[in-house]
Amino acid sequence: MSDFSDFIESPRSACALAGALSAIGNLPEVIPIIHTSLGCGGNLANSVAFGAGYLGGGYCSGGAAPSTGVTETEIVFGGGDRLAEQISSTFELIDGKLYIVATGCMTEMIGDDAAGIVSNFRDGVKPILAVSTPSFKGDSYHGYEIALDGIFNHYLPRAKANNPKLVNIFGLVPGYDPFFRGDLEEIERLLIALGLEVNTFFTPGQTFENLTSAPAAALNIVLSRVWGLELAERFAERHATPYIATDLPIGPEATDGFLRLIAQRLGLEAESVIERENEVFYGYFERCADAFCDGDLKFYAITVANSTYAIPLSRFVSRELGWIVLDTFVTDKLTAEQKAALDREHPIQFVAGVQEIARAINRDHPKGGGQRYFDDITPLYIIGSTLEKRTAAARGARHLSVSFPAYDRFITDRGYAGYRGGLHLFEDLIGQIMSVKS
Amino acid sequence: MMSYYEQSAPPPRDSRLKIGDSYAGNARGLVDCGRDGCLLQKGRGFWQTNACQMMLSLMMAVTVENSLIVIHAPGGCGAMLHPLSAQAAKGKGRRGKTPAAPPWLSTNLTEADVIGGGERKLRETIEYADREFRPEIIFVVVTCAPSIIGDDAEEVVRQTRSAVNADVVSLHCPGFGSRVVASAYDAFYHGILRGLELTPKPWVDSRPRPGGGPATELAEKKYQSRKSRTVNVWNATSIGADDEDEVKRLLSALGLSARFFAEYSSRDELRQVSEAALNVSMCNVHDDYILKYLDEKFSAPYVIAGMPIGFRHTRQWLLRVAERFGLEKEAAALADDEEKLARKAIAPFVAQTRGKSVLICGGVVRVGAEATTLAELGFKILGIRAYHYDDGAEPIYADLAENLPDAPVAVSNQLFELTHQIKSLKPDLVISHNGTQGYIAKLGVPAIQLFSPDGAFFGYTGLYRILRRIVFELKNTSYRDRLSQRVRLPYRQSYFEGDAFKYIKN
Repeated sequence: MSDFSDFIESPRSACALAGALSAIGNLPEVIPIIHTSLGCGGNLANSVAFGAGYLGGGYCSGGAAPSTGVTETEIVFGGGDRLAEQISSTFELIDGKLYIVATGCMTEMIGDDAAGIVSNFRDGVKPILAVSTPSFKGDSYHGYEIALDGIFNHYLPRAKANNPKLVNIFGLVPGYDPFFRGDLEEIERLLIALGLEVNTFFTPGQTFENLTSAPAAALNIVLSRVWGLELAERFAERHATPYIATDLPIGPEATDGFLRLIAQRLGLEAESVIERENEVFYGYFERCADAFCDGDLKFYAITVANSTYAIPLSRFVSRELGWIVLDTFVTDKLTAEQKAALDREHPIQFVAGVQEIARAINRDHPKGGGQRYFDDITPLYIIGSTLEKRTAAARGARHLSVSFPAYDRFITDRGYAGYRGGLHLFEDLIGQIMSVKS
Repeated sequence: MMSYYEQSAPPPRDSRLKIGDSYAGNARGLVDCGRDGCLLQKGRGFWQTNACQMMLSLMMAVTVENSLIVIHAPGGCGAMLHPLSAQAAKGKGRRGKTPAAPPWLSTNLTEADVIGGGERKLRETIEYADREFRPEIIFVVVTCAPSIIGDDAEEVVRQTRSAVNADVVSLHCPGFGSRVVASAYDAFYHGILRGLELTPKPWVDSRPRPGGGPATELAEKKYQSRKSRTVNVWNATSIGADDEDEVKRLLSALGLSARFFAEYSSRDELRQVSEAALNVSMCNVHDDYILKYLDEKFSAPYVIAGMPIGFRHTRQWLLRVAERFGLEKEAAALADDEEKLARKAIAPFVAQTRGKSVLICGGVVRVGAEATTLAELGFKILGIRAYHYDDGAEPIYADLAENLPDAPVAVSNQLFELTHQIKSLKPDLVISHNGTQGYIAKLGVPAIQLFSPDGAFFGYTGLYRILRRIVFELKNTSYRDRLSQRVRLPYRQSYFEGDAFKYIKN
């Protein structure tokens, strides 16, 4: 079950269309037109609306998203006419700044030419583009890249001027990185402190102008070793904007390094920001030492998340909390090359099935079975998705949901990136333990 | 009907019944349009995404005990199962069963599979699922992609049946097969009736055997006597445990023993389906497909008599069940008694809600029953919005045409039309289907759920709770009032100046 093309147990991602819709639905005033049967958009939106910390729907996403709703008739005779009609009526009814036709498996299989149909609507008044996002082309992470590639590398014109203070942030996939908004806002806050202007695109404070200004950026920062890289490479080809790929920084040590990296790259000074942020972080963190240490809250840790999150999580609990990381399960489907790009400070396993992960834990770390002298892995903390809740319960472990699917917690602007995020993660990890007291 | 049951895949409801999802007018017009077929011709020039029959098929399958779902699809279909399985686990717990979420697997069809076929992968997935999880039932959900490439999923299912421990049940429910989500009921029941045994198995299920002497003879008589008072009541995702409890309570009061199928049942329980005197529907558009099958197969009679919502519909539903047992007088007395108690209980709520205007939106039978119920209690019905319409709903709409001839009736599951109606009709309250509540809140209008698996809506308990919930909602609407001031809608203002249903085509 490790091959990319194999069947998957409880997929921790959906399809390319899902990732594209999740990205589009979190961009300001960008309107999707879903060229599939009527259910795809609703099903896929609901999986993040109710499965990613209850993200919900926005301006024209979720159940409000326009869709061609193809039926047997279109499957047999082609869906081109229906798509053309839907584009016209969407223009008439829905107020947007950019319309994106996203295809699904059935309309790609019958050979509908979405790009060709869209080109008939390019009158310059209503901006529209088509992206090819059939489910069989890849998972949600691919869909995020395909949608953004369409916007930045096909739709937006080449930059006329360069803004040396402007950076774009990529790599966090809305919904499939459940804390994308809080994380982006913290990164934005810190980079603004360095003196930069920041396009995060997916947070409520952003506008459509953040999209249109993106080609002028001096640097693209990809907060993932995998996702957003291809996008950034094509971005560099089209707009000559260089990029830097780095791990999502969680907690002070990682964030110090992140700020130094960016500052160095752009010729800025980071130390005063780092000093001030550490003052604040440790102002809180220091006081936590009483409960943390008197409560003897040292744990073995197992993390289960996508490649963007799993490694920074393991690093945080190891470096900042002094916990012992036993396993880091990376759950997104990666190529050999992508796997090679990941940091191996903590050993990584590329396993995604719930049952498989549980089996691997039991295999590598047997339970004591009542023996008096047995060096087992208690106390254990599993930091993963809601799917790991049962696995944790079976091992008597603590559990916190941080990765998709996360439907046993509610998320608004919370994030784990940066200094503030490090405090939040610590607060949530320990809060789980405190919450059972009565 | 029998010819349908013999096919490997069920007919989409569109080819079995006169059906539609786009209409605006009134109840009489809808009944006529359904009869003469004009409904079939209708569609829209603008659509918003919704749900599909695969999603509802999954919602039903995920409730079945000790089952596992294999979705034969690319990786996205079924993503909704994450939050759905949590709800199903809760539903199991509520019915005294282990609150476990069933495992599910996707065959994860890739480009190569779409070209080369996914049958091998399907077989491997079923075999792995059986080996690894040891379920009693494996549901194989056949979606759009394999249906288009022509995978013979049925042949794979047939072959694996002999190779795996589990019973393998195929659910053919490609989303493009029908825009009408309710088609899933047929898809689900088709799978159940073809893939599972619905009658006791000799030597497995305990049953008195003939020829065993006086003791067995007595046991057999007892068994038959019990069976003659046992009714199967057919549930659905929209019908929660509290509603089942209410129905059970009322049928028990008539001396009948009620069992609920097929959601939240196990394989063993489903083998008892044939061992009942009567099959009873709780909604005209849910289960006629399987009830007619059981009639043809086991000569088991059935009753389809609307939905037991409100005094009049509940009484009628009870009487229709009771008359099969010669218990009409008892049922009428029971209804009299229950109504007396309930009327007293709801009186304070009725006083507070009299004259309130309401827009009702959701499943075709429920919205019709709810509308007449609330109208009888003094509400003003501003509009009725049914998610779809088919022949099965005709009795409800004939009743509606008689009782609320002027109420606007639309067949629509579309949010933009709902938004227009709310803005133009300005109801005091919206009663609406799950999945719309957030959107309604953003319009600043008080609203309650039309149904919820966690609430009670049926019979006398349900009516009390509906009214109590309405009064509760109206006690404080500040959240919506404030939220709506800051929400921008995606629809252009010009749309709200014209007809809500301008995109419906004939």
